[in-house]
Amino acid sequence: MGFPVAVLKTENLSRNFGGLAALTRVSVEFRENEILGIIGPNGAGKTTLINVIAGIYLPTDGKIFFDGKDISQLPPHKRCRLGISRTFQLVRPLPGLSLIENIMLGSLFGRGLGQKEARLKAEELCDFMGLDRVTRDISRMTSLEIKKMEIGRALAPEPTLLFLDEVMAGLNSDETREMIELVKRIHNRGITVGIVEHVMRVIRELTDRVVVLDWGELLAEGPYEEVSGDPRVITAYLGEEA
Amino acid sequence: MNRWKYLLYLAIFIVLLTLPLYTGVYLLNVVDIILIYLSLALSWDMLLRSGQISFGMAGLFGVGGYAAVLLHLNTGVHPLFSILLGGLAAGILAWLIGTAVLQLRGMYFAIVTLALAEIFRVIVRNLPDLTGGPEGTVLPSAIFSGNSTKTYWLVLAVAVISIIASEAFRRTRIHFALTSIRNDEVVAKSSGIDVFKYLVFIFGITSAIQGLTGGAYAHIYGFVSPDGSFSVDFTLLPIAMALLGGMHSTWGPVVGAVVLGGVSEFLKLKIPYGHLMVYGLIIVVAILFFPRGIVGTLGQRFKNTHRG
Repeated sequence: MGFPVAVLKTENLSRNFGGLAALTRVSVEFRENEILGIIGPNGAGKTTLINVIAGIYLPTDGKIFFDGKDISQLPPHKRCRLGISRTFQLVRPLPGLSLIENIMLGSLFGRGLGQKEARLKAEELCDFMGLDRVTRDISRMTSLEIKKMEIGRALAPEPTLLFLDEVMAGLNSDETREMIELVKRIHNRGITVGIVEHVMRVIRELTDRVVVLDWGELLAEGPYEEVSGDPRVITAYLGEEA
Repeated sequence: MNRWKYLLYLAIFIVLLTLPLYTGVYLLNVVDIILIYLSLALSWDMLLRSGQISFGMAGLFGVGGYAAVLLHLNTGVHPLFSILLGGLAAGILAWLIGTAVLQLRGMYFAIVTLALAEIFRVIVRNLPDLTGGPEGTVLPSAIFSGNSTKTYWLVLAVAVISIIASEAFRRTRIHFALTSIRNDEVVAKSSGIDVFKYLVFIFGITSAIQGLTGGAYAHIYGFVSPDGSFSVDFTLLPIAMALLGGMHSTWGPVVGAVVLGGVSEFLKLKIPYGHLMVYGLIIVVAILFFPRGIVGTLGQRFKNTHRG
């Protein structure tokens, strides 16, 4: 057993918004082909962490290494082409494009494929996700279908690291089950997954390790069973006793 | 089905090409103006597909006109070649300006483009040695010595170039890039699109079309002047045409230009002093009741009846 290889690593990553420290000196590691849970109370900085890693915000301080290369100052489209992909907490379908075209976007620009190949790739991804690929008005799709479409768009550039930001939110229990299985199959494609989730049952079932954020700081790190017993984590979630 | 469509296009094109055979000089001049506005309306719509609104068409139209006329006069290049150079000049200028200002979006970008037209006009007015100052510059002779058939073919060529460019943008990956930038820039960036590069590119291309159109216009009428070449008409009328015809398509601005251009000419004859009021009324009614424009509304009808 060698050391696990880190696909992506942050070092003392900080991000301020004006006077608000959304992230403070966060150092985390995403190891090759693991599913890492990112948990913490509302406003803990989970989505900010994804946004800084994906390049939507530049860090105020600290560094991000992807495949050993410093990508801290790269613009988001370049990070996507390198292999970092993500979905959004609030779904963001593009209404000007059809279902297939939404997914094609990822391979057209993230992978540089031509339209024909991108369409084939999008159809293959639809089949992989169990998404009816008939071209439909995306305003008529269910919330599960839109979530799948977003995952498809994020998978289309063939990322090595995929962030899923609360993909289970708003799904019923059957749909949640289906989504859990989908995440497992994505993982089986050899993709490292970072998953933000509030449903602990999902985190317990899916993740190899979790990191806990609170007020923008890294509170704990380790397998879910260990971390969930940590008194600091319990306090963060439930609050101090009065 | 598709073959019929192309046959139809071909037939329309042949009719347009041979139009001078069946019409008089007057009608041909009206069509010239319609085609000029059609090209401008299309170029405005092409940029709009990225979500950016330009009020600077008159500026680049005027720059193209001045560049074409001055290059022809001072270097003796063929008028046709100088028109191409006018387009190129406007495109390069827009590319440089775009690099500086395309960090701005929406209304902020729109206001900058509005200022551009005025800035160019002021510059041109204050360089009398080069541009002829407030009086402008008159060419010794209009292009093709004013032959209305050849003149018509020239503007037809400009319009066809604009239509081909617009369709190319609708059928290639550019369509995906512009649509996603318009809908959600964060998604566009996260999907690997270099948003800034595409915006500068599309601003440059659409400005080049405006410059090309301005060059053709200047050579047809044989003169350029600060108030004539940078007239606000070249900004406002194309926008009205694109809105009336339907945004985000090739055929919307085309239909809008033909309808509004034709109506405006007709009204000019019927009510010489009030035609602009009626014109404005048409635009207001169209935007209130058909926000998708003629093509968009008909397209929706067609889709609905076919869905059953």
